[in-house]
Amino acid sequence: MNMQNIDQIRKEIIEKTTSYYNAKFLDKKFIPGKSKVNYAGRVFDEKEIINAVEASLDFWLTEGRYSEEFAERISEFLDIEHVLLTNSGSSANLLAFSALTSEKLGDKRLKPGDEVISVAAGFPATVTPIIQYGLTPVFVDIKIPTYNIDIIQLEKAISDKTKCIFIAHTLGNPFNVKEVLRIAEENNLWLIEDNCDAFGSKYNNQYTGTFGHLSTISFYPAHHITTGEGGAICTNNPLLANIVRSFRDWGRDCYCAGGENNTCGKRFSQQFGNLPTGYDHKYVYSEIGYNLKMTDLQASIGVAQMNKIKEFCTARKLNFDIWTRIFSKYSDFFILPEPMENADPAWFSYIITLKEKNPFSRDELTSYFSNCLIETRNLFAGNIIKQPAFLNKNYRVYGDLSVTDYVMNNTFFLGTYPGLSNEMFLYVEQILDEFMIKF
Amino acid sequence: MAIIKKYKSIIIEKHQLSSDVFSLVIKSLGKPFKYHPGQFLHLALDAIDFSEQWPESRCFSIQSSPSEDNIKITFAVKGRFTKRMVNEIFKGSQVFIKLPYGDLFTQDHNRNNVVFIAGGTGVTPFLSLFSDYRFSLYSGAKLFLGLKKKELNFYSDLLDVARINNPDFDIKIYYEGINGFISVQEVIEHDNNDNVFFISGPPMMIKYYKNELTKNNISIERIITDDWE
Repeated sequence: MNMQNIDQIRKEIIEKTTSYYNAKFLDKKFIPGKSKVNYAGRVFDEKEIINAVEASLDFWLTEGRYSEEFAERISEFLDIEHVLLTNSGSSANLLAFSALTSEKLGDKRLKPGDEVISVAAGFPATVTPIIQYGLTPVFVDIKIPTYNIDIIQLEKAISDKTKCIFIAHTLGNPFNVKEVLRIAEENNLWLIEDNCDAFGSKYNNQYTGTFGHLSTISFYPAHHITTGEGGAICTNNPLLANIVRSFRDWGRDCYCAGGENNTCGKRFSQQFGNLPTGYDHKYVYSEIGYNLKMTDLQASIGVAQMNKIKEFCTARKLNFDIWTRIFSKYSDFFILPEPMENADPAWFSYIITLKEKNPFSRDELTSYFSNCLIETRNLFAGNIIKQPAFLNKNYRVYGDLSVTDYVMNNTFFLGTYPGLSNEMFLYVEQILDEFMIKF
Repeated sequence: MAIIKKYKSIIIEKHQLSSDVFSLVIKSLGKPFKYHPGQFLHLALDAIDFSEQWPESRCFSIQSSPSEDNIKITFAVKGRFTKRMVNEIFKGSQVFIKLPYGDLFTQDHNRNNVVFIAGGTGVTPFLSLFSDYRFSLYSGAKLFLGLKKKELNFYSDLLDVARINNPDFDIKIYYEGINGFISVQEVIEHDNNDNVFFISGPPMMIKYYKNELTKNNISIERIITDDWE
C-alpha cells in the first residue's frame, strides 16, 4: 500500500473519531437529583481522543513524539529546564525522593535514619517514600484556613538529623514559599515541592513547582490536567534530572530512550563498577531503580490537555469564588478557605471546615450531600499517623497535631474542576439551603 | 540534560574547509533550538517515521553558541556515515537532528583558571562556550589547541571573538610540524590544585592527556572529557 493510501485511511479514522466524540460525549445534560455532581473528573473534547488515536496509529507505545512534546510543553509552561514524565503523581514523589538517596550526591544524599519534615494532614504519597527508604518523617501541624504547614512549628522541628522538607501545596494553595526556602537554605536542606494538586498555581507570580530542588505533578483525572494515570518530576538541576531518569528507567546509567542506542556516543568504551571496560552502557545500572515510565498514548492526551491548562486554571479560580459566594451565607457555621499571602492558587478543590460547637457534624452534612448525589471528600488521609498503615511505623511528631486532628474530624472539600456547570452550582446551593434551614 | 527534542531542519550553508573537513550551518524548520554550550546533537540523513526507530545517526559537537539562531557543526570525514554526509547533504537539504545531549559544561565546576585542551575539530564544543556570554564568567582561562598544520586552523576568527568576550583568556596553539604536540609540562604548570581540565579531541589524544594529568597528581574529579567512540 502506498503512502497516499495510508494517509487517506488515517484521515478517515480521525474524521470518524470526531464524529464518535460528538455522538458519545457532546451535549451531556445535567439533571438535578439524577446526575452526579462530582468533585473532579476528566474534562476533554475531541482533541484528546484524536491524539490518543494518532498515538495508537503510530503504535510506538513507549516514550515517543508525544512524550517529547508533552514534556516540552510543561517545561515551557513552568519555565523549568528538566521535565521527566512518569506513570503517576505518586511515582513522581517516589522518584523525586529516591533521587536524593543517590550516592552520586555524596555527603548530601539522604540516608536511613535522616529526618524529613512533612505534614500529617495530606496525601500518603508525600510521606510513604520517606518510610520506604528508612528515613523518619517528622510531622508538623498545619494552619487553618490555608491548610499549609505552620512555619513557626516547621522551624522549631528541625534537628541535627533533618535533611529534607517534603511538603505539598495543599489543594492548590501554595505554602509559604518564601519562608520555607529561607529555612531550607539556612539549614542546608533539600526541598521537594509536591505540586501534584497545584499545577498552575503561582506564588509571587512564579509557578509553584519551580522553587524546590525537585517538584512533582500528577495527571490523575482529578488533577488540573489528566493523562489518566500519569505524573512528572521537574527540576532545574541537571544532575538531579539525570538521577531521576536513572531511577525511573530501571536504574540504568544510559539515557537512551526506548528504541534508541548509543545516543551518548560512548556505548562500548567506558568502565563502570567492577564491570569489564567497554561493557555495553545500555546495560549498566548505577542506581537501584524502577520502571516507571509514561507511555506515548498517555502523553498524547497530555499534549491536548496542555492546550487547555490556562483556561482550566481560570475556571478553577472562578469556581472557587462561586463556592465562596454560596458558603459565605453561612459563615457562622463554616470556616472558608483563604489563599496564602502572595499566592494565586489554581485551586484543586474548595475546602471547608466546620466551626467549633456547630449544631451539625461534618459527616451529617456530607452524608446529606452524598444522598443528593453531590460528591465531597475529606482532606485525604486526615491525620496520617492514625491510619492503620502508619500505626507501628517510625516517625516523630513535633508539638501536637491538634489542628490536623480538628481537620480530620471537621473538614471536607467540594470540587472546583472545570466540569462544574452553573446548573450544578445552583443545585448544590439549593441542597445546602435545604440542609441549613434547620439551623 | 534538558528535554531532548527532534527537529526537522534544513542545511543553509555547507563549506569545505580542507580536503576532509566540512562545516554545516543548520536551521530549524520548527521551534528554535535549545541547548547549552558544550552539548552535542545527533544528525540523521533519512526521514523519521514516528512509528519506527530513529534512523541511523551520528553525534556531532555543537560549535555555535545557544544565543545563535542556527547551529553550526564541523566534521571530518572518517567513515561511511560522514562520507554520506559529504555526498548527500547540500545547501537546501533536509536533515533531522535531535538534541541536546551531554553535560560537558553543565556539570558543576570551578570556573577559575580552567584549562581547555583540544585536538583538531575537538575544539568545537569549547567554541560553543567561548562564543557564549557565559564565558565571561570564567577567569584565567587557558586554551591549549593542537592542530596538524596551520591550514587546519579554521578557528582563528572565533578565538579572536572569544578574547573579546573574555580579555583574560589565554590561547596557545601547537602545530605538529612547527612546535609539536601540546606540552604536558606546560599544561601541568597551570595546575593550582583546585582548577578543572577539560579535554576534547580524538579518543587516543584524550586518553593520553588524561593519563598524563593523573600521573602528575591531578585528580580524576578535576578532569572532564568530551569523549566518544
